Amino acid sequence: MRLKYNLWFGVYEDGKVERSSNLEESFLKAENEESLPFNIPDVGFEVFGGEEEYYTALRKTALAIAEKLVERELRREDKYVIALVKALEEVEESINMLNEKLEDIRVVKDSEIAEEFENKIEGLKNLRKKIEREIEEMMTKIAPNLTEIAGAKVAAKLLERAGSMERLVRFPASKIQVIGAEKSLYKAFARMKKGKKAKIPKHGIIFLHPFIRTLPKSKRGKMARFLAAKIAIAAKIDYFRGELDESLYESLRRRYEELRRK
Amino acid sequence: MKLEKLMRNVYFADRVLVTKSRYGSHYGEKIIDGFREWIPWRSKLAAMILKGHRVDFRGDERVLYLGAASGTTVSHLADIVDEGIIYAVEYSAKPFEKLLELVRERNNIIPLLFDASKPWKYSGIVEKVDFIYQDIAQKNQIEILESNAEFFLKEGGEVLIMVKARSIDSTAEPEEVFNEVLEVLSSRFEVLRHGTLEPYHKDHIFVHAKIF
Repeated sequence: MRLKYNLWFGVYEDGKVERSSNLEESFLKAENEESLPFNIPDVGFEVFGGEEEYYTALRKTALAIAEKLVERELRREDKYVIALVKALEEVEESINMLNEKLEDIRVVKDSEIAEEFENKIEGLKNLRKKIEREIEEMMTKIAPNLTEIAGAKVAAKLLERAGSMERLVRFPASKIQVIGAEKSLYKAFARMKKGKKAKIPKHGIIFLHPFIRTLPKSKRGKMARFLAAKIAIAAKIDYFRGELDESLYESLRRRYEELRRK
Repeated sequence: MKLEKLMRNVYFADRVLVTKSRYGSHYGEKIIDGFREWIPWRSKLAAMILKGHRVDFRGDERVLYLGAASGTTVSHLADIVDEGIIYAVEYSAKPFEKLLELVRERNNIIPLLFDASKPWKYSGIVEKVDFIYQDIAQKNQIEILESNAEFFLKEGGEVLIMVKARSIDSTAEPEEVFNEVLEVLSSRFEVLRHGTLEPYHKDHIFVHAKIF
């Protein structure tokens, strides 16, 4: 018979308690196959130095964990990344707009106002860098395979278009390939309907990926199809399994080398 | 205000069901001079009391509450066992958020965001309890009750469950479903009392039982 039990405040073995140094961690590991042969507070009151102290600690730990779990569940991290991607686009647009206005002013006069514009633009560029770094960090956390395959920027943009990881993993590779090129895709469909010749887009957002961008035009379609297929797999692994699969990136790199040499 | 005592901290105040409480409103119920109105259409436990069934609480019980939802009933039960502890289990995050508001203001509720059908997951947290209250509209709710009772219910402990006929079998007659539930329960529990919750909750019964 096993005499080891996982309690929310530590491990109980042979009548002794090894107190956990991290209550939130041990709280989530307080699993036992069978009903405990003793009552937890009988052990706990001694560990915490009294009934009141015991329940105060229990309530505090349970509440902290509940708050975290609710937070994760309701305002999931993918929603945060999506908000960041949208913010990044706005910040980029602002930088461009301010740059234009700065040039307009400079052409006429090098005034103090122009200098102030420069400072503002500099500040926004710093913000852009911070947002990019945060996106990269978050994407690596929520979708390590997808991020490795597609790069944080492309991965985050795909996620933003899909609306959530849950929806992204339901997209077929053929859809992932053309996300972001909807306009030309539907234009092509419309032309095909009329029996005209049409150019179906080879890539949308994933064009930003270096493995596509750096290939000659004639090979980009093949690479895009391959990349989209791997992205679809990577997203599913991230969502359902959550472990890093090294072989994905390797196969992608091999395909890229192959196409480049041809 | 004319007060008539029904159970520990439960009264009729001018014919309105209330619990004695020093806390504010949780779900929109009225506050009357240190009493909180207990709305039977919102809480099955309130409906049961209005149907005439009483449960004797001492006030220092340890209670395992399965299916705490947003804490409507939990808030009143916390008024009743004001010197006890309620372990409130709920699996869905959305209502749980509301329940947490309650947990923050009171010190006798332990929130557990767990799946009640997997009691082993919180077996190192919840102590042996005097009472299990269950309001989970699920097909296997009796199974869930039994496994939790096995883990946590003290010898001679009691259970109070709310059963919704349609969640157990949506095609059978409610009467048949209830008979079946009572029969399954009777192998492990002594059924003390049961009854309907009409007109407050349609096709629902409560079952108050004691473990052998």
